[in-house]
Amino acid sequence: MSGRARVRARGMARSPDSLSVQCTQTSPSGMLTPVDLSDSEASFSGDVEGTSRISQPCNKGVSSGDVGSTFVEKSVKIRQDCMDLGVCTREKWAHVRDSKTGSSGIPVKLATNLFNLDLPQDWQLYQYHVTYIPDLASRRLRIALLYNHSKLSNHAKAFDGTILFLSQKLEEKVIELSTETQRGETVKMTVTLTRELPSSSPMCIQVFNIIFKKILKKLSMYQIGRNFYKPSEPVEIPQHKLSLWPGFAVCVSHFERSLLFGADVSYKVLRNETVLEFMTDLCYKIGTSCFTQMCEQQLIGLIVLTRYNNKTYRVDDIDWSVKPTHTFQRRDGSEITYIDYYRQQYNIILSDLNQPVLVSLLKSKRNDNTEPKIVHLIPELCFLTGLAGQATSDFQLMKAVAEEMRLSPLGRQQRLARLADDIQRNKDARFELETWGLHFGSQMSLTGRVLPSEKILMQDHVCQPMSAADWSKDIRTCKILNVQSLNKWLIVCSNRAENVIEGFLSCLRRVGSSMGFNVGYPKIIKVQENTAAFLRAIQQHVDLHVQLVMCILPSDQKNYYDSIKKYLSSDCPVPSQCVLSRTLNKQGMMMSIATKIALQMSCKLGGELWAVEIPLKSLMVVGIDTCKDTLGKQVVVVGFVASINPRITRWFSRCILQRTTTDIADCLKVFMTGALKEWYKHNHDLPARIIVYRDGVGDGQLRAVIEYEVPQLLSSVAESGSKTSSRLSVIVVRKKCLPRFFTEMNRTVQNAPVGTVVDSEATRPEWYDFYLITKAACRGTVSPTHYNVIYDDNGLKPDHMQRLTFKLCHLYYNWQGLISIPAPCQYAHKLTYLVAQSIHKEPNLELANYLFYL
Amino acid sequence: MEIEEKNVQSNSVVDGNFEEVCPEKIIKFKPPLYKQRYQFVRDLVRRHEPKKVADLGCGDTELLRLLKIYPCIQLLVGVDIDEEKLQSNGHHLSPYLGEFVKPRDLDLTVTLYHGSVVERDSRLVGFDLITCIELIEHLDSDHLARFPEVVFGYLSPVMIVISTPNSEFNPLFPIVTLRDADHKFEWNRMEFQTWALQVANHYNYSVEFTGVGKPPAGAEHVGFCTQIGVFRKNSREAPGPCVSEQHDHHVYKAVYTTSYPSLQQERVLKFELVGEVLFQVEHLRLRHLRTLREEKRGAGTVPVPKDPSVAPSLMLGALFTEAEKARIENSPKPFCEGGRFFVPLQRLLAYPRLHRLPVDEERMRSLLADSVCLSSDGSAVTVDLHNTWDCDPEDN
Repeated sequence: MSGRARVRARGMARSPDSLSVQCTQTSPSGMLTPVDLSDSEASFSGDVEGTSRISQPCNKGVSSGDVGSTFVEKSVKIRQDCMDLGVCTREKWAHVRDSKTGSSGIPVKLATNLFNLDLPQDWQLYQYHVTYIPDLASRRLRIALLYNHSKLSNHAKAFDGTILFLSQKLEEKVIELSTETQRGETVKMTVTLTRELPSSSPMCIQVFNIIFKKILKKLSMYQIGRNFYKPSEPVEIPQHKLSLWPGFAVCVSHFERSLLFGADVSYKVLRNETVLEFMTDLCYKIGTSCFTQMCEQQLIGLIVLTRYNNKTYRVDDIDWSVKPTHTFQRRDGSEITYIDYYRQQYNIILSDLNQPVLVSLLKSKRNDNTEPKIVHLIPELCFLTGLAGQATSDFQLMKAVAEEMRLSPLGRQQRLARLADDIQRNKDARFELETWGLHFGSQMSLTGRVLPSEKILMQDHVCQPMSAADWSKDIRTCKILNVQSLNKWLIVCSNRAENVIEGFLSCLRRVGSSMGFNVGYPKIIKVQENTAAFLRAIQQHVDLHVQLVMCILPSDQKNYYDSIKKYLSSDCPVPSQCVLSRTLNKQGMMMSIATKIALQMSCKLGGELWAVEIPLKSLMVVGIDTCKDTLGKQVVVVGFVASINPRITRWFSRCILQRTTTDIADCLKVFMTGALKEWYKHNHDLPARIIVYRDGVGDGQLRAVIEYEVPQLLSSVAESGSKTSSRLSVIVVRKKCLPRFFTEMNRTVQNAPVGTVVDSEATRPEWYDFYLITKAACRGTVSPTHYNVIYDDNGLKPDHMQRLTFKLCHLYYNWQGLISIPAPCQYAHKLTYLVAQSIHKEPNLELANYLFYL
Repeated sequence: MEIEEKNVQSNSVVDGNFEEVCPEKIIKFKPPLYKQRYQFVRDLVRRHEPKKVADLGCGDTELLRLLKIYPCIQLLVGVDIDEEKLQSNGHHLSPYLGEFVKPRDLDLTVTLYHGSVVERDSRLVGFDLITCIELIEHLDSDHLARFPEVVFGYLSPVMIVISTPNSEFNPLFPIVTLRDADHKFEWNRMEFQTWALQVANHYNYSVEFTGVGKPPAGAEHVGFCTQIGVFRKNSREAPGPCVSEQHDHHVYKAVYTTSYPSLQQERVLKFELVGEVLFQVEHLRLRHLRTLREEKRGAGTVPVPKDPSVAPSLMLGALFTEAEKARIENSPKPFCEGGRFFVPLQRLLAYPRLHRLPVDEERMRSLLADSVCLSSDGSAVTVDLHNTWDCDPEDN
């Protein structure tokens, strides 16, 4: 949270009228505000909202659940946006209207994690509007009266108090129902048919998702965020105080040809410690001097789970001035201390009366502009979820977690099979499906294609790698395409590192010369082991002619790296290479380490390592990614990396810090224009074609990308000044997607091979999209990358678009093998990551033509 | 609307919104009367710490939801004739997610039965507390006659709480004859007390009368809006022979049941124990390191001995009582050998957070064995004195 936001949060917390809302924190989902319960049944709580309700497992009969609350039109819109429903981009492009499938490669039969959901041919959803006379304000009462009416008792229904969905049509368009309250008052309900919706409509997709949400709760799963977990069957890692709750990410959607239910295994990480324990621990570790600051740095942004209800909250701030002995105002106006409140309400005795409170801002689900509510949470009653901060840098811990969470394709399929079995066997679940007319079918399989492998072009050698996943061995003896010699450079190291340097240098020069990279002898500067000394040395010795600075860092403390990178990327633009002295001590690995470093150094000097065949003669490819700045939470870093030669081996990289909360970029026009100028400078013409790969687009942001980003790119291209402007395509790249693809062999399942493309069945009919597997995994399961062509002036055949994308995944110079996304995206990611993590300001333009961020 | 009286049984969906149908109501209780009734039961539970509690006529299970947080209760049962209501509300009684992270000390099972209070089911025999909140006025005369025989005679719990409207209060409400359409009767204090005393005498219980919902000033003579009788069994003998005869007499249908994770379950206990041990060992290790640093720095000057239980922080953390301090000090001290730091199991068990766990040293050893590194004789937990994540705070 930025300082400004914090001030705002605190200001609000202390303003007199905000006190009254503090008690919202304390109304547990189940007890005091019964109305909320129906909310929990149906509301789509998403990660996007910062806080999300967890609804408890439910064993409701069909007729008693009031599923409706999200049908309030506004929230329907939010949810639809969330799933990017109703964004139809394919119909605009004539060349893919009839078919978007490619042709090259060898067909391969694939198993999926998608299940058929069958509906009767003529299935429709009927939307009704319900009014009451006398009018009733309480939604609960409205719902209860309607659900209890005999007329509707045998119908599958979803109702939010106003809008009613039925899977079967009532015999009349308008039906008057009369009912009595327990007091004996007569209430007239008028049920009017307003719409008939085909099963493909976005509204139906939502109803289907609600139905499955109910079903999963019947299987004793709890919803956290958008996924469902089973805390009763935890995987425990006691030595790291962690539990992993197994669960699933699920989604019902209209895929290319039919309605499918998709499920993927997911884990929720729970830390078996309270926030208070975490704080005391931290205090023990680091002492008091910078405790509050460290505490905020570690905790703000984390999601906590409270002990006394099923909600999760995002920690937005810590208020050190409020203690459990302080009072807040309850909704009825009375003042009560936090201690008394928790004792009376939950029979919980707070043990530490000196702890501060955590502050969470509850954003309205309705997405309107109402001020967020402020909630105070007691650290002692909050548990940490997920892994962040220090935990992620604990190698042992991460290894243990990865080990538990990693699932082989077979293990994954077994979990899915069990879920499917549970759904089909559970009486309530089956009943729920049946009343809606749904039939849970078999797991779907489809046919994909394995694209032909690519050749790697080196300076005087064409290499056909044994494995596309890693060709480092294949090209060991080959010369890289092009790199300038490194004549004037510096090594800054601590006195202790001195002894390893000579050995390393000779190694580096040897591997350098074998790859065609001349490494001269550097000037070596020895300094004391602290950040200031390193920086001082750099400032003193770097001049205009220094091509590169290498720093041998004594430890992986972040401040070394950050301050060096900050200075050399921004204030004084010189490519830099940081190496941990620990790395250079690894015996027996020196050759491979030196090779890796030599490759990185040559990239940083503008070198070109290898290429693949690109049949298009004048093509610029662009990668865009966004990343949140770690210092200021309101800042988004946008990275833009464009190729500037037809061979796609040289890159132009730009990056900006954007003060906004959305991930939508608004500087693309400037970047694009800059890239086109750069292209012109090198090629004396503009590119005939531009293909932009956009990564970092979250759920529900597709429309915004189409409406705000594509026009920026287009206007830049149109104004570029040539007679025939370049033709543009924009592809949204997503690494996180639900479908998984496996090959079945000898009764066991394996990961689909690298180069597998899927462009049917698991795709969406309204999009020009495909999946591509470009990452190999020796353990665990690979996930495909989803490509959604949202704009396509180029009119390339889908087959060519797929193959071009595949080729681009070979061009990331930091890894001698295929990567999961096209290289320009990975470069943009790497760039934004460096800026967001370490330098926090715009890198100097003089470095734009070098891959200085590798 | 929340602060208005919801003067109907069990605060069900329809009842809860009574005000909207009948807006002219004027008497408001604060907190609402139904909450006062529940609070009465909660206070009783807090005082008497019953193990097995049943709520007859539990409706939408709201009272059970309030009661499930008490650590003393190990069996919580709700009975109602409305199966639909039980089905749709059962899930509210499942454990909170947090209860999987920090489990209860004792097991808890919650079960909802569909059935009538005038039928006998042996699974409800031998309870410590049975509550009948706003129940009896819904029974017709035939059922009311059979009610004492089942609840007092057959189920025969240690304590029974019965609440019912006090009709003397009704004139304070406008146009009200009975407070709910389903009420078969509403008694004045005399009628209720006569009935209650007679039942109590017959089944050897004693009864105390009280109530909730104080009348407004000037109308004190009408008494509480809700009258309550608290019945206590006089003899605490084992249940009569009739029970064993009719053992396993199951007429109720279990609609919902859930059990909570607790330290009585080995897997849970082990996880909790390992977590607490590591937490404590890490604390002691860091404190040891700090002492070493201070000694190094303060060589020459006499270091002021600090109270080791106070964390050097803004927070006090949990402070120990004198007894706890004594227990800790009398246990074997942590020590260092080579680069390893050792904390004896006995020392660990002296800390309150481990002391509360139902384990002795032997059990602790076996539970820790495969997750934590023990010294060769198994008497202490051992870790490296230094690890890579330590940083000297003065370095920065």
